[in-house]
Amino acid sequence: MFDFLPQWMRDGLGDDVLFWLGYLTNGKHLTWYASLQFTVFAAVFGSLLAVTFGLLGATLKNSTFPPARLIGTIYASIVRGVPDVLFFIFFPLAFEQSVEWVMASQVCTPETLAAQSAAWPPCKEANWLLSTPEYLVMASVSLGIIYGAFATNVIHGALRAVPKGQLEAARAYGMSASQVLWRIHIRQMWVYALPGLSNVWMLIIKATSLLSLLQIADIVLWADRLGAPNFLKSVGLVHDDWRWRYYLVLFVFYILVTLVSEKGFNVLMRWAGRGILDESRR
Amino acid sequence: MKKILLAAAAILALSGVAQAQDTVRIATEGAYAPWNFLDDAGKPAGYEIDLANAICAKAGFTCEILTNEWDSIIPNLVAGNYDVIMAGMSVTDERKQTVDFADEYKPVDPSRFVALPNAGIDFAALKGKRVGAQGGTIQEGYAQEHFAADNTVVAFGTADQAMADLAAGNLDIILADGAYLEPIVATGQVEFVGEPVEIGGGVAPALRKDEGELKGKINEALTALKADGTVDTLIAKWFDGAGPFYKK
Repeated sequence: MFDFLPQWMRDGLGDDVLFWLGYLTNGKHLTWYASLQFTVFAAVFGSLLAVTFGLLGATLKNSTFPPARLIGTIYASIVRGVPDVLFFIFFPLAFEQSVEWVMASQVCTPETLAAQSAAWPPCKEANWLLSTPEYLVMASVSLGIIYGAFATNVIHGALRAVPKGQLEAARAYGMSASQVLWRIHIRQMWVYALPGLSNVWMLIIKATSLLSLLQIADIVLWADRLGAPNFLKSVGLVHDDWRWRYYLVLFVFYILVTLVSEKGFNVLMRWAGRGILDESRR
Repeated sequence: MKKILLAAAAILALSGVAQAQDTVRIATEGAYAPWNFLDDAGKPAGYEIDLANAICAKAGFTCEILTNEWDSIIPNLVAGNYDVIMAGMSVTDERKQTVDFADEYKPVDPSRFVALPNAGIDFAALKGKRVGAQGGTIQEGYAQEHFAADNTVVAFGTADQAMADLAAGNLDIILADGAYLEPIVATGQVEFVGEPVEIGGGVAPALRKDEGELKGKINEALTALKADGTVDTLIAKWFDGAGPFYKK
């Protein structure tokens, strides 16, 4: 593995260090490191969707049109109440089966329907094969829907926290309704929304550890696999139950993400608060 | 909106059909050495992976081998996520109600009990012990049937997790497939206790019930591979010189 290093360097490192370097960079471990991409994708795409759903939900909740207000309120309260694990496994399954159901009405013929012995899908042609990319998109959408409900409440509250005087002044300057909304109301809303949204972001980061429920080989699943005891030389390094070591690495990883996120949100906070409120410019 | 959905569905359907015709997707667990496991490169390896590749070469299939957790491996086969299971799965009447089996590729292997060395397990009066097995296996079924009344039967996601719990002292005995246990017993960490028990049939590929054509081709390839000694060679390679079982 490290034969490319010059001899003096290998001597300096010693056989033990070289062995562990080799172990930690074997294909299995490299796959583990690479599986971080799934976590990052789900977190980033999921939170973008959550903010989008949150803005939509808050707009609905703030609407003067009662049915729209009702939809926004129902979304925020029902989705927040359902356990995220449940929603996480329910939504992809329900979506897959509805696609297959719609597909079945188009591609199934009476013969193929009769030939199908399993209860689902209705016929073989209406079977949708799901693999990691599809599951990953669905997982992100699920995260977006779940945490969009939390974001709805955060943004709804932030919109109400913007001083009424600001909006009145904007109208007095002759701004149209949409100009008031985008240039003053939403522009100033971020200062009040960001502390709450940073909580939502942390929740999303934590929820990405659920990805393995959808057959995605993410960092948690690989930690489990790598830590499982191995008794056979032909399989690889023989070792006991090492799961706690790998879980410890995940533990440290999530703490680091928390610390980095806090710094990131401080930067965002300064950006959102520029020229608005003195207390936001800490 | 409905039209867009239908068009999207049609495209998905077409691409799905194209995929289904080209490749045979074979699922394994990837956590049951030496049957199937993930090697140092992170790719599936083991007896069943070698055999699957030999079958595919013989039958002229393009094959894709993927891993799936044991507890959802049959539901996902029935749902159509893949076409064949080769994961050390024994033929049982119960499983035959849901899936179809091709010919066996490893004969019936007695299940064995293991315990920590010198644990002093008395099988005549097994009471208040914690008995471990992998969930959804024939061994778990056997343990539930025979030991659940006086003992606690604990089911695990993978066989390795059960072994880890035995080593940590959380279990008294484990019931598992003999071929899986032998190399572990050889390390001296655990020892065989009690008598072997015969549960279930041989190990065979599992398929959906409506896949008669695929089953026929797999059986044809397996018959040829048994006749030319490939199956015996692979068994001897992965199971420490066991066999030969099939070559006359």
